Amino acid sequence: MFEVLFQNVKDKISLTSDEEELAKTLFIPKKLKKKQYLLQQDDVCKYLTIVEKGVLRSYTVDDAGTEHILQLALEGHWVTDMYSFLSQEPAIYNIDAVEDSELLLITNRSLDELYEKIPKFERFFRLLGQKNILSLQRRLTGSLSFTAEDKYLQLTKNFPDLLNRVPQHMIASYLGITRETLSRIKKNLLKDH
Amino acid sequence: MALKQTVAIIGATGNMGSVIAKSLANGPYRLLLMAKDTVKLQQLYEDVHAIANEVEQEIIACPKDACWEADLIIFAVPYSAEAEIAEKIKQYTTGKVVVSISNPMDKTFSKLLTSSCKSAAEELQDRLPYSKVIKAFNTTFAANFEHPVIDGKQVDAFIAGDDEEALGIVSNLVKTVGFNPIIAGDLSVSRILESMQLLLVQLGLRYNYNWLAGWKVLHK
Repeated sequence: MFEVLFQNVKDKISLTSDEEELAKTLFIPKKLKKKQYLLQQDDVCKYLTIVEKGVLRSYTVDDAGTEHILQLALEGHWVTDMYSFLSQEPAIYNIDAVEDSELLLITNRSLDELYEKIPKFERFFRLLGQKNILSLQRRLTGSLSFTAEDKYLQLTKNFPDLLNRVPQHMIASYLGITRETLSRIKKNLLKDH
Repeated sequence: MALKQTVAIIGATGNMGSVIAKSLANGPYRLLLMAKDTVKLQQLYEDVHAIANEVEQEIIACPKDACWEADLIIFAVPYSAEAEIAEKIKQYTTGKVVVSISNPMDKTFSKLLTSSCKSAAEELQDRLPYSKVIKAFNTTFAANFEHPVIDGKQVDAFIAGDDEEALGIVSNLVKTVGFNPIIAGDLSVSRILESMQLLLVQLGLRYNYNWLAGWKVLHK
């Protein structure tokens, strides 16, 4: 239930077994079935979540009802509506499960407790924050200046696993292209190889 | 629309578990009905569906899985079975609201089985140390759920617990059922609430209330 979290943590800081036990008491274990929501737009986002198993997505829905996916979160990825989580103001994102998922959730209050009792976690989340800013910069640059085909190739390079687990319309939404464009790109790439 | 909370009812086919499930059928909840008796459980599923055919519900055989998926857990098992089931679900209750509904009485309704310095709710909190145990639904009989108004008065339902947010969540649950929620105090007040129900049972037997009785605080 905590394997992915502690593997994720071990990459950046080392914890004693007592510290691991303490950390376990602050994370809420939660199972989510496919298509169930963890967060709905306009609710307050109470949790920072790590995916232990499964896939989550965060997305907005525009006035025409079209979904725009910001993040597809696989095992070991963290997901939240950061603004809402920090400010306790209504969320702009929805978060739901693309597959049956097992999650660990932590509230703002428990996160403060975690920092206080195990200060090493401040370092952990600083490094995690750096990594996330980096990937957001990359994604934004890709979104602004890459061709649809380059965006797709970047995704296949960074998250090869994702393509088999997430429906094509979600991949298209994540890349900001239509489903038709996505299938054309895939067809062309097949032809080239 | 706000997100539906997932409520697991552990011991859903018992007297209290089943009336709680039916009373929540029309509320903003997704129900996970858990019990050992699969035949009774299937019947309950159909009964709940008959009350609200739009209800989101599932039957689950394993208490661990039910609690893992739940946001809120109603612990509706007999007092004598609490220790064993609590051990099974312990690690899946961290950070979650657990409602203790039990009244630890002996078979003749002459005394409480707990020591005078600890309630069943506090014992449950000790067994599930990282959950937020709230005492509720112990001062109301199963029959009250179909008749939350007695003699023209809405029955009061007392709630006790240490976590403010959890008290609010359970107050809403109590309102959905149809009772008037009254927050009585912290979890130690459960000792009084459990004693109150022993008294009400004893009065019911003496004066033949036929289980249709409840508490009401009169005030101006």
